[in-house]
Amino acid sequence: MKKSFVFSGSGGQGIMSAGITLAHTAIDMGKHSTFLPEYGPEQRGGSAKCTVIISDGDIISPLPKKCDTLIAMNEQAYGKFIDDVKEGGTVVVNSSRVKDTDRQDVKTISVPVDDVALELGNVKVANTVLIGVLIGATDIVSKEAVIASLEEKFKEKSPEIMALNIAALEKGIALGKGTV
Amino acid sequence: MEKRFMKGCEAIAEAAVRGGCRFFAGYPITPQNEIPEYLSKRLPEVGGVFVQGESEVASINMVYGAAATGTRALTSSSGPGISLKAEGISYLASAQLPAVIVNISRGGPGLGSIQPAQSDYLQATKALGHGGFRAMVFAPATLQEAVDLTYNAWEYAERDRGPVLILMDGCLGAIMEEVELPEMKVLNYDNTEDWCLARVGGREDSHMITPILPELALEMLNKFKGMTYKMWEMADVKVEEYMLEDAEYVVVAYGIAARVAKEAINTLREEGFKVGMIRPITLYPFPKASLDNLDYNQVKGIIDIEMTVPAQMRDDIELQVKGRCPVHEYGRSGGILLDDEGVYGAISDIVKGGA
Repeated sequence: MKKSFVFSGSGGQGIMSAGITLAHTAIDMGKHSTFLPEYGPEQRGGSAKCTVIISDGDIISPLPKKCDTLIAMNEQAYGKFIDDVKEGGTVVVNSSRVKDTDRQDVKTISVPVDDVALELGNVKVANTVLIGVLIGATDIVSKEAVIASLEEKFKEKSPEIMALNIAALEKGIALGKGTV
Repeated sequence: MEKRFMKGCEAIAEAAVRGGCRFFAGYPITPQNEIPEYLSKRLPEVGGVFVQGESEVASINMVYGAAATGTRALTSSSGPGISLKAEGISYLASAQLPAVIVNISRGGPGLGSIQPAQSDYLQATKALGHGGFRAMVFAPATLQEAVDLTYNAWEYAERDRGPVLILMDGCLGAIMEEVELPEMKVLNYDNTEDWCLARVGGREDSHMITPILPELALEMLNKFKGMTYKMWEMADVKVEEYMLEDAEYVVVAYGIAARVAKEAINTLREEGFKVGMIRPITLYPFPKASLDNLDYNQVKGIIDIEMTVPAQMRDDIELQVKGRCPVHEYGRSGGILLDDEGVYGAISDIVKGGA
C-alpha cells in the first residue's frame, strides 16, 4: 500500500504543520513516509503546498505527478492542484473558502473547516479538524497515533491547547465519516 | 542507532556534528538556511563554534582559518553562494587544508530560482574554483545516504587534505525522511600533527601562508594532486548499479533524479522492458568503469536524466560510451521538479520507440 497526499492552501493556514503531523504519525505507526514542502519566498500569504507519501514499503520516488488525495484549503489551491488528483481519488475541500468543486471522477468531501474551527473557539485548529476529516474518511492512520503526535508537538503548550486540538480532531473525524 | 524523522538540511547538519564538525561559518541563502539555523543551536552544545559571516567570502575564509588549526570545519550554501566561495575553496586546495562544503542547489544560472534544481554539476565536478584542482563530490539520493556520506566526509578531506563537496538539490534539502543517526565520533587529532597550526614543532605562533610558489614547487604540488585524483578513480568511486545484467537501456542519474528514475524503471520492468540504471554516488571521481564496461552488443541506448536543462553530466557519459550507442537526455529545470509521470514518459518513449 502506497498513498500520496497533497496539502495545499496559503501560508499561515497550517498546511505544512498538518502534513508533518500526518507523516510523523505514519512513521510512529511503523510505516514509511516522506514529507516534501514547496513554497515561495513569502513568509505569509503565499501559496503553500506539501506532499506526503505513506507506504508499507520503502519509498523510492518522493515526486509523484498525481496524488491519491488532495486537501485544498482555499480556492486558488483547489484550482491549481485539482487536475493532479488521480481518477477515483479523494479531494477534501475547505468549503468555508472553496465554493465550486467541478471534478466528477473523484470523491469530494466538503467540510467548512474554518467555520468548524471558529465554532470550537480558534480558527488556528482548522488544520487539526482537517486531519480529523482525513482519517475519518480514509483510515490512513489511527486516531490514537495522531493524538500521540499532537501530544508530542504541543508538549510545551498549555493543556487547553491540547484539549482544543483533540476536540478539533474528534469533530473532524465525525465529519469525515459523514456521521455529523 | 538512533532513528529520527528529519529534514534533509537538518539531517546532514546533525551528521556533520556527529562526524566531528566543530566549526561552521556561512551566509544565508535559500534553500539551505536550515543547515546554519540548526548548527547555530547545535554546535555550541558540543563545544563547537558557529559564525554567521558577513558574506560568503568571509565565511569560506573563516573555514580556511578553522581548518588550519585542525578543526573539522564546514560551510554550506547554494549555487550563487558557492560561486562567491570559489576563490576561498581554491585557496583551501592550494593550502592543502581539509574542509567540507555543502551545496543545496537551486535553479540557475545567476540568481536563478529558489526552487530545487540539479544545476551545479559542472561547477561541482569541473571547476569548484580557479586553478585546475578537483574536489571529491558526493551526491546522495536519500537522506540516509546523505547522513552516511556527510558523517565520513572529513575522513576523505583529511586523508587527501583538500575540500570535499556534498551536492544535494533543494528537494533533498527540504524533504523529511526517517534516518538512522550514527554515534558521535570521538576525535583524535593524531593524523593532523604534521600539518595543522600549533602542532607543527610545538609552536604556538605558526603561520599558514599560501604564497606565490616557485614554479617548480607549484608544478610538483599539481603533479601530486594529479596522482591523488588517479588514486580516487581507482579506490574511491561509489556507484549504485541497478538491474544492469540484461539491460538494453541504461539510465544514468544521480540524487533526486535517480529516485524518480528508479520508480519509472521498476514500472517498465513490470511491463517487461529491460531497463537498468547507473547511479553515480561520487560525481567526482565519476564511475567511468560502470559505463565503459557495459556490453554494447546488448545496450541499445543510454538515457541521462537530470533536474536541469540541458543535461550537464552528458559529456562525462559520452566520454565513456565512446559512440558505441546513442545517448539521450531528459530533464526539467528552472525550479520545475521532475515527476514520476514525466520521467516514466521520457524513458518509455525511448525504450518503446526503440530509439
